[in-house]
Amino acid sequence: MGDITVGLNCPACGGAITIAEGESVVNCQYCGSTLYAEGDKGVQTIAFKNKLDERTAIGAAQAWWGKGFKARDLKRTGAVTECYPIYIPFWDIRTRVAGWVCGYEERTRSDSKGNTKTERIYKEEMVLMDLAYSEIACDPGDLGLRSLRNFSGESTFEDLDMIPTFESTTSRDDADAHARSDAIARGRSSAHVPHITFENLHALVKRTSMIYYPIWVVRYTYQDRMYLLTVDGVTGQVLSGRAPGDPLFQSLAVTAGTSIGGLAAAGGVLFTINTGSEFGIAGVILGFIILGATYVFFRHGSEIIQGDFADRKKGPDMRQLGNIGKMIGGAYR
Amino acid sequence: MKIIQVKCPNCGQAIYQKTKDEMFLCQNCGTIHYRDDKGPHRVPFEVAPPNPNSGGQRFYMPFWRLRCDFHIRSRDVQGGLLHKLATTLRGGDNGGNLYIFVPAAELDTTTFRRLAVALTTSPPQYPVRQDFGGIERVPTAIGQDEAIEMADFVAVTLEAEKPGTLQYLDYELKVLEAKLIYLPMVSTPSGPWLAI
Amino acid sequence: MAQVNCPRCAAPIELDSGNKFAKCSYCGSMIFFDRTGAGFYYAIPFKLSQNDAVGTFRRWAGGSTKAKDLDRLASITSVKKKYFPVYLFRRDVNGREEVYVKPAGSTILPGLHQLKVPGGDLKIFDGNFDTNGAELVKPDIEMTHYLDNLPGKGKEQALVYFPIWTIDYTFNGASYQVVVDASSSEVFATSFPTRSSAAYLLVAVAGFFAFLVLGFVATVYLVPALILMALTVVAVFFISLTVARRL
Repeated sequence: MGDITVGLNCPACGGAITIAEGESVVNCQYCGSTLYAEGDKGVQTIAFKNKLDERTAIGAAQAWWGKGFKARDLKRTGAVTECYPIYIPFWDIRTRVAGWVCGYEERTRSDSKGNTKTERIYKEEMVLMDLAYSEIACDPGDLGLRSLRNFSGESTFEDLDMIPTFESTTSRDDADAHARSDAIARGRSSAHVPHITFENLHALVKRTSMIYYPIWVVRYTYQDRMYLLTVDGVTGQVLSGRAPGDPLFQSLAVTAGTSIGGLAAAGGVLFTINTGSEFGIAGVILGFIILGATYVFFRHGSEIIQGDFADRKKGPDMRQLGNIGKMIGGAYR
Repeated sequence: MKIIQVKCPNCGQAIYQKTKDEMFLCQNCGTIHYRDDKGPHRVPFEVAPPNPNSGGQRFYMPFWRLRCDFHIRSRDVQGGLLHKLATTLRGGDNGGNLYIFVPAAELDTTTFRRLAVALTTSPPQYPVRQDFGGIERVPTAIGQDEAIEMADFVAVTLEAEKPGTLQYLDYELKVLEAKLIYLPMVSTPSGPWLAI
Repeated sequence: MAQVNCPRCAAPIELDSGNKFAKCSYCGSMIFFDRTGAGFYYAIPFKLSQNDAVGTFRRWAGGSTKAKDLDRLASITSVKKKYFPVYLFRRDVNGREEVYVKPAGSTILPGLHQLKVPGGDLKIFDGNFDTNGAELVKPDIEMTHYLDNLPGKGKEQALVYFPIWTIDYTFNGASYQVVVDASSSEVFATSFPTRSSAAYLLVAVAGFFAFLVLGFVATVYLVPALILMALTVVAVFFISLTVARRL
């Protein structure tokens, strides 16, 4: 294997020195010389203390079984087969994004006579903020984890030897690049400028460190099938998981979706016919969106998924629905 | 990995400092340098003497002063037709030479913006010195390359803060020279203030 | 357990896979591990037993895109426990750190020819490592084969044994294969019997248009339309329940 170890001593006085991973400047504690570490320095690493035990982790899992549209008998028939903690590495990258986003917003108003006017509101927005970005530093496999939700915890390395630790296997520079593009994107959206005519945004990486985060893996069975969920070892919340769905909820969803969606579409068409206003189309679109969202649940609701899984099926997001709701609200005012 | 003792590239004297500041100040010849994996690099710097009348705890804060060539090719501003005379830009409203100050210490975003805009719009006048007179330095957290990246932000800020709403700006910004400027500061409840 | 000796006092120091630094517990020296020239062998422990792997397969097979009742009707013909070797390279390419993962064994197993970086607790793999009866797939591609062709300078290179269960099954006369990652329970499959969305789509679209039409009818004949709507609600509910259960 060759000589792979290097003892670290002060080149001036020979005293043994202690240098934290990721640091490049250290002052010798014996002779006071300022020293510089050249080459591969690693990254500053912290580990959060695990706050849960097996009982609380299983308790969180069982509470989760009872929530949402999961199989109704899951709480009764689901059986935990295994529950253990692991440490998972996450890149924790702090960035600063600075810049300007300029453009305009268009607002449409209609007066009592039904005349509509579109108004342009010009905007210049400064973006200057510090952001935290995290991403898993190993392959998440089927754990359904991609980023951290919680950045605070008691730091300790005590448990790191006791609890199996997933090793970091991704590149720091890749993570830094992702953090930068995330910062630019979040900076842009924080400016709230719908039509951008000029943009100048810069992102600086201020600090990159690695957090070893305690995660409890709970495996359970339901009708011969093996499911898995993860519980945050600091906050005790279920982070991700798969659970069996229930055909009853699937059919209730599609029943509600077709009836409400169909009637909304009918209402929209009738509104347009009676008033001549094109805002009735919003009702038709809303109807289709309700139908689409409930269809996705009807088709794929046999498995309920929480977390960042690759095969997660998503319906239309709430913001889209909100915008359409606003349009309809404007039309009826 | 290799641990080396930091020595002044100018006079060869070993550096002894208490803080983990990567801007190494030589006690012997008074030069500043930093290191990377390619070796030591001298950093040109200036120190402004503190105002003897300023009270409170004084310290030196590092700033990157970037002499820039800023040229506006075209712009589009909505409203505010009465442009304030561009006092910061020598050479008219469409650009010219200017000094952009980028705070180099670890600062929160509000202080960063306040100091960058205040110093760039009215650059401080002071007799140039090279010694710190025993006053402590705040470690430098933003390197020269990062400062150049931020200069772009400060330049656009100057344009955006003029009356009217900026809609479009096409410009060229060239950094001609970078210097580390140490300005004396006092800490106040509302953050650090200049004590020149 | 793999060990190296402290360069100062020669005491044994445990070599953990993640860290670049270690402190000698005898003389207190700080040690830096230079991994640029060495090659390491790691293995990820099995987290799934055979039953867990089959249960995970059944969970996957019960998914909404798989053929209905695939989880119950698939007949499993073989379950094998294997360690599959992959190379993990960390390289410095023009000052940027890049990670490359390459298979070390030639394979046609699903998911393994385009491997990602395996996640898991890397354990030193040496003569004392207990494979627990897993078949060790021989690395038949040399590390140097990749090293010569990868850009940049090496920072670290390792051979990682990735724990998998391969499951063969037949369904409606055709045979299929899946790989279950025994560290994180991910299931890899290139082909599997699929379920048609037609019935689901039909129920949703037919229900939607029924209500759309009834909405129009309601403006002319309110009461009959309301009665028809109530009937349609019941019909859609029972038809969709049947579809969700059986198709």
